[in-house]
Amino acid sequence: MNQRYRSHLFFGIVLGVVFGCAAARAQDVVVIVNNGVKATSASKDDIASVFTGDKSSLGDGSKVTPVTLKGGAVHEAFLKEYIGKGDAAYRTAWRSLVFTGQGTMPKTVDSEAAMVDYVAATPGAIGYVGKGTEHDKVKTLAIK
Amino acid sequence: MIRRILMVISLCIFAGPLLAQDLSNIQIHGFVTQGFLYSSHNNLFTMETSDGSARWTDAAVSLSDAISDKLHVGIQLHVYQLGELGGPNLQIDWATGDYRVNDRVKLVFGKVKTVYGLYNDSQDVDTVHLWTLLPESFYPVDNKNFTLAHYGADFYGTADFGTRRGKVSYRAYAGYRSLDLTGGYALELGVPVVGSAFTTGGGNMFGADLRWQTPLKDLLVGVSAIVTNLNGTATTGSLHIPYLGEPVEFVKFERGKFMAASEYKRVAPQLDLHLNNVDPYGYPAPVIPYNVVAVEDQRSWYVMSSYRLTEKLQVGAYYSHTGNAHVNGKLPINYSNDAVISGRFDFNSYFYAKLEGHFINGTSLNYYVDTNPNGETTATKMLAARIGFSF
Repeated sequence: MNQRYRSHLFFGIVLGVVFGCAAARAQDVVVIVNNGVKATSASKDDIASVFTGDKSSLGDGSKVTPVTLKGGAVHEAFLKEYIGKGDAAYRTAWRSLVFTGQGTMPKTVDSEAAMVDYVAATPGAIGYVGKGTEHDKVKTLAIK
Repeated sequence: MIRRILMVISLCIFAGPLLAQDLSNIQIHGFVTQGFLYSSHNNLFTMETSDGSARWTDAAVSLSDAISDKLHVGIQLHVYQLGELGGPNLQIDWATGDYRVNDRVKLVFGKVKTVYGLYNDSQDVDTVHLWTLLPESFYPVDNKNFTLAHYGADFYGTADFGTRRGKVSYRAYAGYRSLDLTGGYALELGVPVVGSAFTTGGGNMFGADLRWQTPLKDLLVGVSAIVTNLNGTATTGSLHIPYLGEPVEFVKFERGKFMAASEYKRVAPQLDLHLNNVDPYGYPAPVIPYNVVAVEDQRSWYVMSSYRLTEKLQVGAYYSHTGNAHVNGKLPINYSNDAVISGRFDFNSYFYAKLEGHFINGTSLNYYVDTNPNGETTATKMLAARIGFSF
C-alpha cells in the first residue's frame, strides 16, 4: 500500500468518523404520546402546528400538550425535520407568543429519559426521543 | 447614563437565577433592555440623539396560568422610558382570560394585544426581533402605546384545510383603546396642535385579521383592518378624528435561516380640531382658526429580509417609506424614507446585543419641536444599539 493511497484512506476514515458522529438524522427521531391519547398517527403538519402553538390537537381531534428537550442532537433533529428552524429561532417564536399573551412556553425536560417519564405520566403529553431510547411506557405516533 | 447601564446589568445578574419559574402551572417570564441612539443630524424620539443618548430602557414581567385545559389567564406589566416619553409608572401591557373551546373557536377578553399586520402585537417585545427599531413607517417606537392593545374581546381560531389548501387563521375584535398621555401621539398632537397637553384621550376600535399559511408551507399572506376613531381633550381645545379604516396587507416568507417580508398600508384620517381660546399671534397656541379640518392620505410600505448566519448571529436589512399623498410629496416634512442594516448576536438563550445603522431621508416621522427648535435637516444617519436579557 503506497503512501499516497494510505493518506487518502486515512483522510477518508477521518471524514467518515466526523460525519458519522454528526447530529442524529431525522429518521432516528420518534414522536411519542401518552398512552391515553387516542391517535395512532399524525401528519408532519399536525406535529409542527402543535409544537409551534398553532393548534392544540392532532388531526383526529386528540388534544395534546407539547413537551420539548432543552437541547441536544435529538432536539435539533426534531426541529429540523418538523419545524424547519434551529433552536434559537424556535425559542424566539415561542417568546413572541408568551410576551403577547397568546401562549405559554412548552414544558422542557433535560434528557430523553425524563421525556419518556414525563410523557408517560402526563395525560395528553406529546414529545420526541431518539429511536434507540427506551420508550415502552408510551405510544409512538406513526407519521404520515 | 452609567447609572442606567449599571442598573440594567445588576437586574440581569440578580434576575438570572430566577430563570423561567414554573410554580405548579404558573409561568413567570420577563425581559429588560437598554438602548443607545446616536444621530449625525437632528434629534429623534425626544432624545438628544445628536449627542448620543441612552434614555431608552424597557422592562416587563408576565405571569400566566392554565386554570384548566380550556381557560388560561395572564398579565404582563411593562415600564419604559424613551427620552421624554413613558416614565416610571408601571403599565399593564395585557391582562387576559383566554377561553379555548377548540382550535377553531377561541375567545380572549380583557386588555388584549392588538393583532394587526405582522408585528403590531409584538412591536414592544425587543427580545423576539432582529431589529433594534422596526420599520417606523408602520411601528413608530414613540407612538406604539396607542396601537399596542385594546380593552375588549377577540374571537379567533385556526382552520386547517389540509396540505393542498393550507391553514387560515382568523380574528375579529372590538374594544376601546386609550391614548397614552405620556406617549408620542399625545405629545405631537397636544401642545403643538391643540395648544396644551391632552388630559383625556381614546377611541373605539373594531378590527379583523385574516392570514393564510399557503400550501407553499413557508409563505404567509394576510390582511388586517382596523376601524377606529380618536377623541382627545385638553384645556385649550379638543381633537376628534372620525372613524376611519386602516387596512394593511402583508406577506412573509420564512424558510430555514432566510426570511423576507413586506407590508403596505394606506390611511386617510381626517383631523377635526376645535380650539377654545386662540391667540393667533401667541405661542404655543397654533396660528389657525377656531375650527379646522385637516385631511391626510398616508401611504406606507416596507420590504425586509434577514438571514441567520449561525445559531448566534443574525443579519438583515430593510427599506421603509411613508408619505402623505394629499400634499406636496417632495417636501421633506411630508415623507420619511429609511434604509437600514442590522445585526443581532445571542450570547446565550438569555443575553443578546444588537447593532443597527439607519440612513433616514425626510422628516415626517419621529421628530419633535422641543428637541429640534431650529428645525431639521432633510437627511440624517443614525446608529442604534441595544442589549437585552429575557427569561
